[in-house]
Amino acid sequence: MTRAGVNEYVGLFNYQKVLSSSLFYQAVVNSLRWTGLSLAIQLSVPLILALALNQRFWGNSLARVLMLVPWIMPTVVVAIMLRWLMEPNVGLINHLLLALSIIREPIDFLGRTQSAFLTLVCANSWQFLPFGTLLILAGLQTIPRDVLEAAWVDGAGVWQRFRYIIFPLLGPVIGFVFFLAFVWNFNTLGLIWLTTQGGPLNTTLTLPVLIYRRAFRGSAMGEAAAMGSLASVALMIVGVFYFKYLWKRPT
Amino acid sequence: MTRFPMIRKTLGRCLIIGIVLLFLFIALFPLFWIFIGSLHPTADLLQARVTFPPAHITLDHYQTLFHAQYGVKLFVRYIKNSLMVGLSVACLTIAIAGLGAYGLSRYRFWGSETMSRIMLFVYVFPQSLILVPIYVLLAHFRLIDSHFGLIITHTALVAPFCTWLLRSFFEAIPRELEEAAAVEGANWLQILIHVLLPLASPGVVTAGIYALVVSWGEYMFAVNLLMSGAKWTVPAGLATYMTEQAIEWGQLLAGTVLTAVPILIIFLPFAKYFLRGFLEGALK
Repeated sequence: MTRAGVNEYVGLFNYQKVLSSSLFYQAVVNSLRWTGLSLAIQLSVPLILALALNQRFWGNSLARVLMLVPWIMPTVVVAIMLRWLMEPNVGLINHLLLALSIIREPIDFLGRTQSAFLTLVCANSWQFLPFGTLLILAGLQTIPRDVLEAAWVDGAGVWQRFRYIIFPLLGPVIGFVFFLAFVWNFNTLGLIWLTTQGGPLNTTLTLPVLIYRRAFRGSAMGEAAAMGSLASVALMIVGVFYFKYLWKRPT
Repeated sequence: MTRFPMIRKTLGRCLIIGIVLLFLFIALFPLFWIFIGSLHPTADLLQARVTFPPAHITLDHYQTLFHAQYGVKLFVRYIKNSLMVGLSVACLTIAIAGLGAYGLSRYRFWGSETMSRIMLFVYVFPQSLILVPIYVLLAHFRLIDSHFGLIITHTALVAPFCTWLLRSFFEAIPRELEEAAAVEGANWLQILIHVLLPLASPGVVTAGIYALVVSWGEYMFAVNLLMSGAKWTVPAGLATYMTEQAIEWGQLLAGTVLTAVPILIIFLPFAKYFLRGFLEGALK
């Protein structure tokens, strides 16, 4: 945007082209749905898991290590796993659902417009859960045990301890996980590209996928750059908002 | 219920362990099933007759992957490439992030706080956006289709987060130790290498493992920056098995296992360090 005037005319043309294409708006809507749904899963589930892992029980440290495994898996592994398990003819999920007579005919989870989006959100969240859990667990460990024990002695129940002690102290950490998860989900590209490439019927076409498709398959580099800049500006606004209002370094 | 605190406590404990076991099952079962699947003959795979324990165990799929009949598709080669790239990225990241974190934690200068925030802020830019400029930039230096180009790209991807992580470790180290070393006549680089880095070793291990994990799994840059099949890293190589017309499930699953196992072998021995480093450093 701060470049010399030579690029200005072409730049505006690309923005005009992008803003008048319905595919762009569809991708924006998909991206927002994708990010929103993912965030709902990726903030609530790690919180439950982290609260459970913060208790003392036999095998706790082993459970923490094993929990990390999905996070270190390469995206390609997740994509292949998903394609194999969800495959209509050879996949385990369809096989099980048929055997239990929950469905009569195999479902092509990644090939149907009704299910592809949700299937991918779940797989994506499967991979992010360990990281979110780890961060929230780190936050939980900064809460001194004696505070919780004192509350317990004073007769505070599980819910009260969570509502009045853990949750307020955990606020900054949840904000941090929110920010990282927001950015990470909004920018998800590899998993979608390796499974549906944005299909079926563009239902999983998020903004990063559209940008990538335009730049590397359609060789419309200018349009891709225009869309990328718009996405960056949107994300920068979220980032500035986060660092201005939610960022607190717990000491 | 409140009249029986013991029962209540036991119930709570069972619930907690139940939750953890459920999550571990969801986290691990799909990967376990891929491993089991990779041992099945193609005929069984195509009829979804995957069982545990397998009815017929075969290592054919692994053998096919290891033999040279596919020309450039040499899986061993991919693994070597990935290890080489990943370890280089880890070392380079520690060097760069160590220096950066040292500067940010020990010198207060105008904008230093803003700068450490920007460390995380850079992650807002989508990969699909930076792919093109990085490609153009590397092309200028004739670093397309070279491992070095991929190494510096991966380092650029992970270094900000690692700098931010190491910074909190450095800040926890008392300055008196450095002052003592300075009195002994050590310069800043010696202080960094001999005092700070050893004391922050959980952080250094965490940063290195993080860099290695990200580099090992990174697909989008690897596949676009490396042209020749012989230079591919594991994700780039493995993905080609997926895009073919009729998927050879056996080979694909065996390849997936071979992609997952090396990083697990590297990661698991350090996992405890990594956890500790992360839990101590991530939020301070």
